[in-house]
Amino acid sequence: MQPRRQPPPAPRSGPGNPRPTAPLLALLLLLAPVVAPAGSRGAEDPAQPQDAGVPRRLLQQAARAALHFFNFRAGSPSALRVLAEVQEGRAWINPKEGCKVDVVFSTERYKPESLLQEGEGRLGKCSARVVFKNQKPRPAINVTCTRLIEKKKRQQEDYLLYKQMKQLKNPLEIVSIPDNHGHIDPYLRPIWDLAFLGSSYVMWEMTTQVSHYYLAQLTSVRQWKTNDDTIDFDYTVLLHELSTQEIIPCHIHLVWYPGKPLKVKYHCQELQTPEEASGTEEGSAVPTELSNF
Amino acid sequence: MRWTLFIGALIGSSICDREKFFGDQVFRINVRNGDEISKLSELVNSNNLKLDVWKSLSTFNRPVDVLVPSVSLQAVKSFLRSQGLEYAVAIEDLQALLDNEDEEMQQNEGQERRSNNFNYGAYHSLKAIYHEMDNIAADFPDLVRRVKIGHSFENRPMYVLKFSTGEGARRPAIWLNAGIHSREWISQATAIWTARKIVSDYQRDPAITSILEKMDIFLLPVANPDGYVYTQTQNRLWRKTRSLNPGSSCVGADPNRNWNASFAGKGASDNPCSEVYHGPHANSEVEVKSVVDFIQKHGNFKCFIDLHSYSQLLMYPYGYSAKKAPDAKELDKVARRAAKALASVSGTEYQVGPTCTTVYPASGSSIDWAYDNGIKFAFTFELRDTGTYGFLLPANQIIPTAEETWLGLKTIMEHVRDNLY
Repeated sequence: MQPRRQPPPAPRSGPGNPRPTAPLLALLLLLAPVVAPAGSRGAEDPAQPQDAGVPRRLLQQAARAALHFFNFRAGSPSALRVLAEVQEGRAWINPKEGCKVDVVFSTERYKPESLLQEGEGRLGKCSARVVFKNQKPRPAINVTCTRLIEKKKRQQEDYLLYKQMKQLKNPLEIVSIPDNHGHIDPYLRPIWDLAFLGSSYVMWEMTTQVSHYYLAQLTSVRQWKTNDDTIDFDYTVLLHELSTQEIIPCHIHLVWYPGKPLKVKYHCQELQTPEEASGTEEGSAVPTELSNF
Repeated sequence: MRWTLFIGALIGSSICDREKFFGDQVFRINVRNGDEISKLSELVNSNNLKLDVWKSLSTFNRPVDVLVPSVSLQAVKSFLRSQGLEYAVAIEDLQALLDNEDEEMQQNEGQERRSNNFNYGAYHSLKAIYHEMDNIAADFPDLVRRVKIGHSFENRPMYVLKFSTGEGARRPAIWLNAGIHSREWISQATAIWTARKIVSDYQRDPAITSILEKMDIFLLPVANPDGYVYTQTQNRLWRKTRSLNPGSSCVGADPNRNWNASFAGKGASDNPCSEVYHGPHANSEVEVKSVVDFIQKHGNFKCFIDLHSYSQLLMYPYGYSAKKAPDAKELDKVARRAAKALASVSGTEYQVGPTCTTVYPASGSSIDWAYDNGIKFAFTFELRDTGTYGFLLPANQIIPTAEETWLGLKTIMEHVRDNLY
């Protein structure tokens, strides 16, 4: 297959590809880079990274994985980012080992259902190196982003969200967020944002070269009273995996306090379960409860 | 989602006297060991309390949901406390919740019935969509007819709207397919909007007028009616048909892996429980077969467009292989023009390319079948958005999506009109 011409706006290669430094060159030779996609024939020009032929999809997926990781690490539910546009990227693919992607992309604030306010049209810029090991989840990610929101403002918004969560009436009578028509009640937004943050961790951990996740819906929420002041809640999310089109329910337990690192434990249903089995919903998967620290 | 299951069963049931649940609550009770299980069973089995278990005991450390009638609330709470059983009130007033859910959809449908004004900026039931299709045909009898092309597995009618200005059989025709994957609600919503747009703009807009002068348009807004009803009553994220699979408790096949184009090839599954299960054989799904039979009998289709969501992509064959389609160059050019026209409305960016490399390998798909059967202009739209809401696209984006998509569709249809073969 001929390398596809990229549609505008295309991931542009720089006016001259920066020449790899010596260690990188050694790495390149070691990895024997080939042109993506998987299943295509042969290597083209093994000594150089291919960017003209790199499928846009791979770069986008790498960018999204990097953002899941970034959002989780930032630990701030009011400063979540989503992908705006891939700007440039390179990939090294070794059919036996995996795939390394360098990608530069722009981001915008995650604010579904809100009209952009003044100054919020600003885009942040990130660059990331994402390494997928064949068939293994938890891609290694190195990502840096320009600041999108002033630190003080972010802290204020986080604290506001924290207060809103603390004031919610318990037990929460949540059916689903968004509702089936895509609507999120404004007073439920803090729950959604925190759930999105926790889900970012899960989605990053589960991402592989071929599996990519989106958060489809939050189907249950339960907030626990805590002895300290942390926010502690359990929720169930439905993740949508694109290549298999599967919907994966995950139970997530999250503990958060503004400014502190997020603590997440989760268990996703792994196997296909019969849709119609009454009452049962568990597959025979071994629970994988992983906490970050 | 569990609530929706139960509520759906209630609303959809044929019980004459609909039960009321004022003040009834749903308790979520945590059982941590065998001892607690037997205590709970004792409670549930006591006749006079009239408890109803919604989600039953299967293993430890899984909560049990129990519907407690308002009269039994005190008794149950005392019992739970005295036995040290941990619980939470999951639903404080079941009737209020039911009333709320009903309200939105009923409001829409009530308004429509009263003023005969279908709200195109909202999602509708199958019944409402079919009713509006009928209205459109009644409003423009010289232009549109509602035609039944078959029925679904659960025996619901499959209706298309035929837009035709000419007499005579088999004028060159365009097929617009929507809602084949039931959870992609923006697809059905865009389709019904498009139907109204065609009739409104005929003889006002030169483009659609000239297209209809030369060709017929067939629009199938709900290619998977059973699935659509299921997403409204039981499971919002249902994708497949609702056909039964002998020997499996899993239901349905992926209707967009069921066409006879490299059937059972890459990117489809032979596991009935998979979301991309291709079915026992090509055209096994009656919904697919109905379309295939109709198109083949007609024999003069030049264009087939399939509307899906989400991802914002405009694709052409092939999905079943990375091989290049003979007309790829032309299709690519048309698709790029269409994407550009679409973007001109609100700036929504689509990516263009062949299915296999743009999204993923997928065999047995509708447009691959169409293309390999002589329908050159075969395209798939993956409509808004790119993942923020995904399938749950807010209703306030229906009209903006439909409006921009319309420009993309027209670009393609104009090209077909000017390049009939």
